[in-house]
Amino acid sequence: MTGAVNIIPFFVVIPLAGAFLTALLAKKIKWLPDIIGSVTTLALLAISILSIFKVNAYGALVYSVGGWKLPIGIAMVLDGFSSFVLVTVNLIAFIVGIYAVNYMERFTSKWKFYTLFLLMLAGMNGVVITGDLFNLFVFLEIASVASYALVAFGTEKHELEAAFKYAAMSTVGSLFVLLGIAFLYSFTSTLNMADMARVLTQKGANNITVMVSVLFIMGFGLKAALVPFHAWLPDAHPSAPAPISAMLSGVLIKSLGIYALCRIIYNVIGITAPVASALLVLGTLSMVVGVFLAIGQWDLKRLLAYHSISQIGYVILGIALGTPLGIFGGLFHLFNHSVFKSLLFLNSGAVEYSTGTRDLKKMGGLMGKMPVTGGTNLVASMSIAGIPPFNGFWSKLIIIIAAVQAGKPWFAFWAVLASLLTLASFTKVMKYAFFGTLKEKWNKVKEVPVFMKVSMLALALICVIGGALLISGVNEGFLGSASNVLIEGTGYAKVILGSVK
Amino acid sequence: MNLVPDLLGKALFKVDGMSVFIGIFIVFFSLLTIVYSLGFMKKRKGLGHYYLYIVLTIVASLGVVFANNLIILMIFWGFLGLLLYLLIDFGGKERTSYTAKKAFIIIGGTDAFMLLGLAFIWHLNGSLNIDKLSIAFNTRLAVLAYLCLAAGAFAKAGAMPFHTWVPDTAEDAPTPVTAFLPASLDKLLGIYFLARISLDVFQMDPAMNRVLLIVGSVTIIAAVMMALVQHDLKRLLGYHAVSQVGYMVLGIGTGVPIGIAGGIFHMLNHAIYKSCLFLSGGAVEKKTGTTDLSKLGGLAKFMPITFITFLIASFAISGVPPFNGFASKWMVYQGIIETAKAGGRLWIVWLVAAMFGSALTLASFMKLIHAVFLGQPAKNRKITEVGPAMWIPTVLLASLCVIFGVFALAIPLKMLILPSLNMNVVFTGFWGSGLATILLIVGIIIGFIIYLLGTATKTRQTEIFVGGETLKDNPDMRVSGTEFYNTVSDIGILKFIYKMAEKKLFDIYEVGKSITFGFNGILRYVHNGILPTYLAWCLLGMIILFYILFKHIW
Repeated sequence: MTGAVNIIPFFVVIPLAGAFLTALLAKKIKWLPDIIGSVTTLALLAISILSIFKVNAYGALVYSVGGWKLPIGIAMVLDGFSSFVLVTVNLIAFIVGIYAVNYMERFTSKWKFYTLFLLMLAGMNGVVITGDLFNLFVFLEIASVASYALVAFGTEKHELEAAFKYAAMSTVGSLFVLLGIAFLYSFTSTLNMADMARVLTQKGANNITVMVSVLFIMGFGLKAALVPFHAWLPDAHPSAPAPISAMLSGVLIKSLGIYALCRIIYNVIGITAPVASALLVLGTLSMVVGVFLAIGQWDLKRLLAYHSISQIGYVILGIALGTPLGIFGGLFHLFNHSVFKSLLFLNSGAVEYSTGTRDLKKMGGLMGKMPVTGGTNLVASMSIAGIPPFNGFWSKLIIIIAAVQAGKPWFAFWAVLASLLTLASFTKVMKYAFFGTLKEKWNKVKEVPVFMKVSMLALALICVIGGALLISGVNEGFLGSASNVLIEGTGYAKVILGSVK
Repeated sequence: MNLVPDLLGKALFKVDGMSVFIGIFIVFFSLLTIVYSLGFMKKRKGLGHYYLYIVLTIVASLGVVFANNLIILMIFWGFLGLLLYLLIDFGGKERTSYTAKKAFIIIGGTDAFMLLGLAFIWHLNGSLNIDKLSIAFNTRLAVLAYLCLAAGAFAKAGAMPFHTWVPDTAEDAPTPVTAFLPASLDKLLGIYFLARISLDVFQMDPAMNRVLLIVGSVTIIAAVMMALVQHDLKRLLGYHAVSQVGYMVLGIGTGVPIGIAGGIFHMLNHAIYKSCLFLSGGAVEKKTGTTDLSKLGGLAKFMPITFITFLIASFAISGVPPFNGFASKWMVYQGIIETAKAGGRLWIVWLVAAMFGSALTLASFMKLIHAVFLGQPAKNRKITEVGPAMWIPTVLLASLCVIFGVFALAIPLKMLILPSLNMNVVFTGFWGSGLATILLIVGIIIGFIIYLLGTATKTRQTEIFVGGETLKDNPDMRVSGTEFYNTVSDIGILKFIYKMAEKKLFDIYEVGKSITFGFNGILRYVHNGILPTYLAWCLLGMIILFYILFKHIW
């Protein structure tokens, strides 16, 4: 038990150490950044998978930083939900890291990239692992600031503009989160999330909690790119280098946005019916607005970015249904979306790497020249469109069934409609980029180098076998224990405070 | 706690009369397609993938047919849509990738609605196993569930209003793919699924049957009218593939045993003669390099086997006795007449639609046969019959057209269809085909003898002579037959309807596309890229949230 607790700080320590080492040593040695990046992310993936087993064996684990006892010191908490998000984040980070080995050759100063990348990863892991509300804000800012810099990494005009917009809007979101935290602190006189949940349950629902809920929905909703707080995303995500786009769309909006929102709304404040229906409406709105915006895009990465908004809508819709099945489906979709959306961004990066364009109208017939990219893109497109037997089908199916089961068939209808339009827009991508006749100027196009191929194939494999996470015996340990945390609601306080004694 | 309810149940697969019967024919058509492809697809790129997809299609189709659980069925069903998409892409024409996309969006889109139907059924019954379901239309949700599932079946089979992918696919996909999927396999599966949900999963009532009857009648008439004015061989056949679905839907919609049996029998017959037509058409395409009717003509002399098979299949599709199409249409008519017993006069409408559709089909095939096989050859070129890999399947199918027609009761009905239905099918007026067939054969023999004895064999061919003038519209001085029915589209209201059809106002895909891009335009206009606007939305959104959430408290 004590041994298990000790893995917790490593989720933050390893990437921070990696970032520090890269900045310190890897400036001169060309091959070192790749090695440090891959080794750190691999180690993180290993301990996050280990954490799943530990959580299943011992229940929620609490680590007190510096030996200060709860609720005075900063706590780090590992439970089903956080280990689920950690696996998602670090899995994608590892695969993206491998991809970047080849891809980032296009840019100078690889070491800066890896430093920022690992810093962002440290922030994301920190948000997920922390049990202290102000600490959460600190990690949120670490991840956000690193991501602003990464969006601007190419330092072209439009990249800087996108980064500026992103920074401005994201800071506004962060400030509202900070305001919310300040309100809660003054109301409960504690910053520990479990303790705060305990105090709030004693005091009962009142105006402060409602007010704070709105602030958090706005702040974290902005990080998660829920409509109408989404407008920064379609500029920021396409402007970043492809591996970073994959990280931003794949996991950043989920760990900073959805994870933090759900953790606070469900476990700390406690969900109420009006808040749940507000989230339902926001989720559905994102789902539909995102896909309608996506379908008309001709810039491949921008199209993908709009789909992120739409898919986040599915996740929020599922979780906000509040039924066990809905939460399960929402979280499953969160995982699936991380996988296929990262893959799609990596594909778009591969196309850009080989042809130098991301304008769909200029591509065509690339399937013959780039079979791995085309094939994996097909798999990812079918996954996001919910075509069986790929992973997206299963999570959408569960969300739709859960919505009908919860007596909300209209939300199910919108989910189906968005699914149809998603299919339409990805057949558009396949048609213009990969099928059809090869344009003459692409006669000399080559498939991408080996590390990029390997990472795309790995993600495609997960898309194909993703449905296996539903098999009974597998689903309880991974998705099940994550959804149980949310289903428990403010019972979280008892679990965490109980596990300390 | 088990978070995921047991959606699958225990019995995932089930074998019964109907699934075995459909399964047999799936394998049969697949084998024919593979044999034919060996000839047709020779020397094309990516054949490894092509055959892989064909084999996967067979597996997935069998999965659909033998599935007992709707989710299992849905997995295979959805995967078939993807395979169709990939197979169409082998067409290699300019519009092919557009057509593949369109077909997949229509099919995949209705599949998404089927998921909604599944969710409704699960909500109503708590089970998704076909053998445990029997839902009555007493709630709105049940009706919606049926409509969602039926939409999937309609799209797969190509009934209106989800039919528009069929003619496009027929024109742009490789011919064996067209013969394999839209013409045979997708029909089998679509109608199989429609029959399953109508017979087993739901308890049909007169109102719902009427919906099917309307869909069936409209499909028959509208599609055949479109077929009349086409001038591409494969596209014309594609419209007929839509039109014939109407008979099957009509048969199932009658709700009486003989009508349902007729509908299913027609599905089988249609698969046989339509794939025969497409495969024969493919032979023509392979040898002449075109499917444009105005460029074809006089091929009967060069391709006798193809001509005969095409002719037999044309008679079958037009419902000429004693071929199989007649036998099944006759049963559908009987089914419609049977519904008259329940009162109401609407049955006359359905009957007229069915019969009129049949007449128009014959008319359209007269044009087609004239334009392709009779008439004058377009150019003097050497065209030879296709190789055995391509004519064996068509001959086999053509003989099935005859056998299933002449021995309709003895072979297909008694051996395959009636056992699969578990119903008491009463034939009110079964047509004894034996005598008529003998008379027909005698007639043909006599005609042939006259032909041999007479001077008909000693003909003389010469150029067309029109008083020394050259026709402006027809510089090569021949009547291709393409314009046979062009006058139809000039009649009053029909002219207007054809105009609308040309603008694709009846194409659910095009209509949906304009609506989608309308919304897209509005939303793009709003996203002007100006930071203060975006920030204003955030604040506005927050204010609205404040208002809504505090409204609950005060």
